[in-house]
Amino acid sequence: MQDMEQWMHKIEQWMHNIEQWVRQQPVEQFYAALAVLIVTFAFFAVLRLLKPAKSNTIVLAGLSGSGKTVLFYQLRDGSSQQGTITSMEPNEGTFMLHSEMEKKGKLKPINLVDVPGHSRLRPKLDEFLPHAAGLIFVVDALDFLPNCRAAAEYLYDILTKASIVKRKVPILILCNKTDKVTAHSKEFIRKQLEKEIDKLRTSRNALSTADIANEHTLGVPGEPFAFSQCRNKVTITDASGLTGEVSQVEQFIREQVKP
Amino acid sequence: MLEQLLIFTRGGLILWTCGNALKGSPIDTLIRSCLLEERSAETSFSYDAPAGGAAYTLKWAFHNDLDLVFVAVYQRILHLLYVDDLLAAVRREFSQIYDPKRTAYDEFDEIFRQLQKEAEARAEEMRKSKQSNRASLVAGKKQGAGAGQRAGGQGNAKQKGGKAGSGKDDDDDGESGRGRGLSNGRENGIKEPSRARSVVVKGKDNGAPEVGAFDVNKLQRLRPKGGKKTDTGGWRASKAEPKKIVKKNRVWDDSPSDSRLDFTDPVDEKGDEIVDVGKTDHGESMMDKEEIVSSDSESEEDEEVESAKPGTEKKGWFSSMFQSIAGKAVLEKADLKPALKALKDRLMTKNVAEEIAEKLCESVAASLEGKKLGSFTRVSSTVQTAMEEALLRILTPKRSIDILRDVHAAKEQGKPYVIVFVGVNGVGKSTNLAKVAYWLVQHNVSVMMAACDTFRSGAVEQLRTHARRLQVPIFEKGYEKDPAIVAREAIQEASRNNSDVVLVDTAGRMQDNEPLMRALSKLINLNNPDLVLFVGEALVGNDAVDQLSKFNQKLADLSTVPNARLIDGILLTKFDTIDDKVGAALSMVYISGAPVMFVGCGQSYTDLKKLNVKSIVKTLLK
Repeated sequence: MQDMEQWMHKIEQWMHNIEQWVRQQPVEQFYAALAVLIVTFAFFAVLRLLKPAKSNTIVLAGLSGSGKTVLFYQLRDGSSQQGTITSMEPNEGTFMLHSEMEKKGKLKPINLVDVPGHSRLRPKLDEFLPHAAGLIFVVDALDFLPNCRAAAEYLYDILTKASIVKRKVPILILCNKTDKVTAHSKEFIRKQLEKEIDKLRTSRNALSTADIANEHTLGVPGEPFAFSQCRNKVTITDASGLTGEVSQVEQFIREQVKP
Repeated sequence: MLEQLLIFTRGGLILWTCGNALKGSPIDTLIRSCLLEERSAETSFSYDAPAGGAAYTLKWAFHNDLDLVFVAVYQRILHLLYVDDLLAAVRREFSQIYDPKRTAYDEFDEIFRQLQKEAEARAEEMRKSKQSNRASLVAGKKQGAGAGQRAGGQGNAKQKGGKAGSGKDDDDDGESGRGRGLSNGRENGIKEPSRARSVVVKGKDNGAPEVGAFDVNKLQRLRPKGGKKTDTGGWRASKAEPKKIVKKNRVWDDSPSDSRLDFTDPVDEKGDEIVDVGKTDHGESMMDKEEIVSSDSESEEDEEVESAKPGTEKKGWFSSMFQSIAGKAVLEKADLKPALKALKDRLMTKNVAEEIAEKLCESVAASLEGKKLGSFTRVSSTVQTAMEEALLRILTPKRSIDILRDVHAAKEQGKPYVIVFVGVNGVGKSTNLAKVAYWLVQHNVSVMMAACDTFRSGAVEQLRTHARRLQVPIFEKGYEKDPAIVAREAIQEASRNNSDVVLVDTAGRMQDNEPLMRALSKLINLNNPDLVLFVGEALVGNDAVDQLSKFNQKLADLSTVPNARLIDGILLTKFDTIDDKVGAALSMVYISGAPVMFVGCGQSYTDLKKLNVKSIVKTLLK
């Protein structure tokens, strides 16, 4: 107990000394210190407000088996390595596109995210969408018709997410596997997707006033759906992940992630 | 011989492969139906290539720290014993040369060939040593038989040790138990981890008694068993039970009046005209209302977790705190065990079936073993996060549950969309059928009901009343008719009068009632419905596992086509009676792989809603 009292006494003495020392300093120093603090805070606040903070994330999404992982490695390394299988986790990487390695000049590295397409792993997409500067929706042009409905549903879900609509994230619909002869053309795929999404629109917004599954409605009521009606820009193009014909993809990516 | 060995990342890139090309796509199937379904704690996976291809067995190993998966594929007819060893050795060697930046590992070919030779050699040695072991043990038993009681005493002591080993549920103990004594293996007989091992043990059991350890075995048989049967004993017993009990009229002591008291007319059409009930409109079905989910913050849950765990030792907490600050501790199975046990108990208090909770915990352990702990994270929080992710993955449906879209698609093709409601007795099939009909009618879909419950008294009238109140047509043929034929005629009638959906009500049946299950599978095979909906109540406990697995099994066994129709969806009923014990949903989804399409939460027409996966996961782990 006595130790405790001694401790308390010592602490009080120290506090007293400190107070006296503080009082002895000239007042101007305090004002100067305070001013410096305020200026620093203001500086950082202004920086954060003014900086457009354009992120450099591009998200690759699509059904399972459409070729996202192959495309990811093609963009990163220029070759699809030894093959891929169903992804269980997202592939993420920040790098310069392989074709741009040779170019001189300062180009901003891209943060590319390949989200698994398996339906059980869909919730992972929601983690990456808020930061996405652009989204590439990969569609299997070879095996399109059996998966048309599922692809349209996934695309519809993406197009009606709040984070896409509010930030007007541009979307590129990529028809993959066009190196094969029997792959469908991008016009055909576009028409089919528009038709399917139109049907989905009617069935999802049927009678209920509360939009249970989707947060926004698509298109103009009364007219058949077309991608041009979306508020964010939706384009469609061809590519082939295996052979490396991905020039249009790279163009799209470069447009979104400007240096 | 191994067909193929593959090393790939969890993100999907194949890093190294060796072997012949495989028929079909076994690795993809493994990932989709096993690893992503949280069954990664199982020991092996069998795959049949479609269209008469080969039959493979797949075994796998994880390296959770580097996010790598190692898969070995071999023909099912071969029982290769060295595959587990080989996978462990490959994992060890590969993790030393692995570099996240590299994608080609050609030098691994040599190392792999060496490892394969070593593993095969080890397997040969073990097999030879087992044979010699068996010979020496047999000789030992002969001597023991002479001594008689002494051997029995030894056997008893060994057995107690063996039981303690199996009680711990440890792989090592199981193996040493097997080596220790053959009589042990017989009494233990219960939780042999893998099929292959149990085959080996049984082989040895059959070997030993023949040769000469008779006295010891007789002594053990004489000792009261107390319900400790081996697996084979159990099977034989159940098969031997006769199933010839014919249902007779129950005769009470007072003389029964045999006069008919059942005045149901076969087809009572007058009923429709006499009572003219106006179409019921109870407002919006809860399917269309948005659910307001309260979002608690993560930190709140963590605090509750800490306060709710009374049993943690102080010393354990202190050292785990130390490690969490220091970070970089590699997770071992022993570290995960207390956290997993606490999680498993918590799941079981939420009415998750014991078997499912166990399998889930093992799967989470398999995915966390060997991972490095981040700094400032405790083991329990890592386990909690992993379990949350796993639960989210299981409960997220893997096929679309948008029934309206399917109905529209069927409408375009010009056929009616047929939904069959199956389940055990008393779960609420007829009531929920009416709820689904109400919801569909609200969305401008024309519905027709088919009364294929021709067994339960009053079932047809019940459905008739619902049909009258909702003003939908009903197809009925009265009682004591073959439900499969009634269903077929109902579907024909529906396509004639252009109904979009046919809702087929069936009689409740217990899952182990052989004739009734056969009748059900006949109904499904004959009519090929678009959706087989299993109706299960949320109050069910461990029986959910049994119900669903037996239903699926019977539907698969008794099917006439190669691609049998299994249960496509689950309707969870009586959800309002359980407050937060929502575990039945998890058990049912895990065991069948089918998504929960509807949830019945009350007894009136509007009480039907969709399953909110995030709120269920939150409730389960609270």
